[in-house]
Amino acid sequence: MVKSIAQKEFLSALRDARFLALSVIVLLLLLAATVVGLHSYYTLQHEREMAQEEVNHHFANSADRHPHRMAHYGSFAFRPKSSLSFLDFGLDSFTGTSLFLEAHKQNSSNFSQAQQSSSLIRFGEMTVAFILQMLIPLLIIFLCYGAFTQEKETGTLQLMLSQGVSLRQISWAKVAGYSQIVALVVAPALFLVSLLLFSQSGFNLNADLLLRLLLFIGAYLVYFFIFIVLSVVVSALNKRSSTALISLLGIWILSCIILPKAAANLGANLYTTPTKAQLDADVHDEVAQSINGHNSADERAAAFKKQLLVKYGVGSLEQLPVNADGLVMAASEAQSSQVYQKHFNRLTGIFQKQNRIAEYLGLLNPYLAVRHFSMSMAGSDFAHYVHYQKVAEKYRYNLAQTLNHIQATQVKYQDKTTRLSNATWKQIPPFRYSSPGVGWALKNQINSIIALLFWLFLVVVTGFKLIDKTKIV
Amino acid sequence: MNKFRTIIKYEWLNFRADKGLLLITLLTLITGLYGIYYGTTEISRQRQHLANLSKITAHDVENMKVQFPGEADAGDVGYYHSTFAVNHPDSWASLSLGQRDINPYYIKLRLLNLQSQLYDSDNINPLKVFTGNFDLAFVLIYLFPLFIIGLSFNVFSIEKEQGTLPLLLSQPINLSLIVAAKLSFRAFIVLGLAVLLSLTGMFWAQVVPDSRIVLWLGAIVLYCLFWFAVIFLVAALQKSSAFNAITLLGIWLLLTMVIPALLNVYVALKKPVPQALALTIKQREVVHGGWDKPKEETMNKFFSLYPQWRDTTQIKERFVWRWYYAFQHLGDVAVADLAKDYQNRLKERQQLVENLNVLSVPVNVQGMLNALTGTDLLAHLAFMQSATRYHDALREFYYPFLFNQVAFTHNDYAKEPQHSFTSTPQISLVWSGYYKLALSFLFTFIVGLFIFKIRFLNLK
Repeated sequence: MVKSIAQKEFLSALRDARFLALSVIVLLLLLAATVVGLHSYYTLQHEREMAQEEVNHHFANSADRHPHRMAHYGSFAFRPKSSLSFLDFGLDSFTGTSLFLEAHKQNSSNFSQAQQSSSLIRFGEMTVAFILQMLIPLLIIFLCYGAFTQEKETGTLQLMLSQGVSLRQISWAKVAGYSQIVALVVAPALFLVSLLLFSQSGFNLNADLLLRLLLFIGAYLVYFFIFIVLSVVVSALNKRSSTALISLLGIWILSCIILPKAAANLGANLYTTPTKAQLDADVHDEVAQSINGHNSADERAAAFKKQLLVKYGVGSLEQLPVNADGLVMAASEAQSSQVYQKHFNRLTGIFQKQNRIAEYLGLLNPYLAVRHFSMSMAGSDFAHYVHYQKVAEKYRYNLAQTLNHIQATQVKYQDKTTRLSNATWKQIPPFRYSSPGVGWALKNQINSIIALLFWLFLVVVTGFKLIDKTKIV
Repeated sequence: MNKFRTIIKYEWLNFRADKGLLLITLLTLITGLYGIYYGTTEISRQRQHLANLSKITAHDVENMKVQFPGEADAGDVGYYHSTFAVNHPDSWASLSLGQRDINPYYIKLRLLNLQSQLYDSDNINPLKVFTGNFDLAFVLIYLFPLFIIGLSFNVFSIEKEQGTLPLLLSQPINLSLIVAAKLSFRAFIVLGLAVLLSLTGMFWAQVVPDSRIVLWLGAIVLYCLFWFAVIFLVAALQKSSAFNAITLLGIWLLLTMVIPALLNVYVALKKPVPQALALTIKQREVVHGGWDKPKEETMNKFFSLYPQWRDTTQIKERFVWRWYYAFQHLGDVAVADLAKDYQNRLKERQQLVENLNVLSVPVNVQGMLNALTGTDLLAHLAFMQSATRYHDALREFYYPFLFNQVAFTHNDYAKEPQHSFTSTPQISLVWSGYYKLALSFLFTFIVGLFIFKIRFLNLK
């Protein structure tokens, strides 16, 4: 009996021309989004790789320069796209792509896609994630809103119950039938995604990527299941199909449109973001309290030099076995980058507090939970962005210190004219970035995992309990 | 006319008794007020930040005076001292924030080469800008259509489903009159709310009361009417309430999300922006290459652009500021074409959207509102141009000090040019938007009328 109910739902959905049409549209959109996502991934990735190669080439083949000139010349970190970001662009279009790495200074990451777009981009982007998060739930609602109400309206529910099946069995059977249909719509696209991922030579296929993909798909399956059961429960609680449908659409609008926006805006209102201008001014004031490598009149630099004389037991800076300029620069870089790092962490902390509101709201709204999780698996969430910024900063710091070390050891004190050939620069490794592993990503996802499991539990346990109590007529 | 009034009266009684309808009306009102509150706080925060910039500059000047207690070399001042180009919001900006949260509304400038400073972004939480603004424009463009759908999806089908249709038809009234009255009643509520919220927003934000009041209200009213035309079209098909709800939501989704997202893809494909990274790389190469070029070559190039400084003393020193600033400027000159291409490409992108937005009414109206409040990409590009001119003015202010080798005194800080720019609305864009909006409305309405004529005549 249970099997035949499931089969009936499956077949009647397949026979429903309107549902079929909608499914085909969603499927086509999914395929289109996959192709579009891949294309955009390749274009942006290529652009950034080329840019990175170009600056690396410039650096390695630079004209003869004084090491500190080289430190000011610096380098760039262009953020590579993470492999799975073609499924979910996440925040990628709203984060900067080009970061100039120079001595003494942490720069902002510039040229986000959004800054180069008209307000059109604010309407959302065509990605696989957008369809999975927003459109499939609508399709599910359309599929399931009549699960019980139709049986009630035609009087077949009583007939079924008189056959000796329980309400709970009927519900499970319906959920099973609907799940099969949703799988039928989603599977081809997910299959294509996996196939493209496996067949493309551009992707470095490894266990990490595979695991990310599996978790990505898994989270969406849980999300769809939550929506299916939710729709069946709402259908059971309503007498009429139209009221069930309107309630479900109301839930969709609230959770997919209104709540996410309200959460992000609330976060920004609760925790004020300091402007870059203010942050720079604060950094400037604090850095002014530390050694300045460029100011010969600086007292702290003088004290530092005095210490050096004592340490090496020599009478003048010229007699030192190392170049004091380089050491002063190194000390200054160490102190200033600490100040920068402190303020960077403060800013990131504020952003994280703002974002946490949306994370906690995931408990109220599975859409937020799955959105957060999906971006993370795709490597396009806030945490991954911060990771890239930190890696770039580490590279910047090491680059500056390497060059200071070269100045300290290969250039004489007060010598500003000696130039080293690019043989020296060639030995410095270029900036390389690879996304952190899936384990690292999962650590930031505890909230969303809990939220998704909570919802799963809620619909399965509480939802079915509610169905048990539903009025049959 | 009496019959019309009677129907309206009963609709009103129905509406008053329906808790669900009252609830969504109340919800819409609350979200609208929140949108106004959010928009105004956001803009007043931006204003506060902008006001704070002059304090930061004043503090910076104080620091400079401590660092250089006596007369200073203008070269040092140009290097260490910074000032800001500021983009003040138009008084209307609170109602539609547009791209103001993504594009920086101030640019920190030193005398160094412009192209390495012009594109610095502000501290932005990417998740927040990704989610978007909950401003009044969002409520009107996204949520009002849902409100309209919620009020009217079953405007006609419910009579059928409740079995009241035969009763109605047995009365000596025209069917068109019933539909017209029922839709008019709903339109009255929706437009009343939209106008009320808009006026509240204008009052709250203390906008400059100019012709834009009419332009804004006109756009909003026409936009709501467009959605009523959509309702009319779907109702004319005479399907069930459930079908109507799904179809209308589908249309909403198509117009507010799917089509815009597809357009976005098309624009990105058609008009890529490779200039950004190219110019950023090239400007660094040229500027840093300046150190290694013979000074005479650099200076001659510079003098061909600024012949008025040609007869100043020849440079023999290893380092001198006027040479430094000369090659900084030559860095800008070297990428001037790329920078221009970059700006033009962004304008082309905007233009392409203008051409295509006839495909999605919400995109069109969003563009109209952003143009009206001076918060769109074009307003930002105008600000960048103004900042460029400001940088020119700064250079012109410092060049006499540098090339005539005049010392920079503490009094000279106050003489440094200041910058102020206020975003201006693009009224011509609003008008072309109107034209398309009216066209969309008429088209939908006429198609609806056509279907209505065919289907409802059969009914009789």
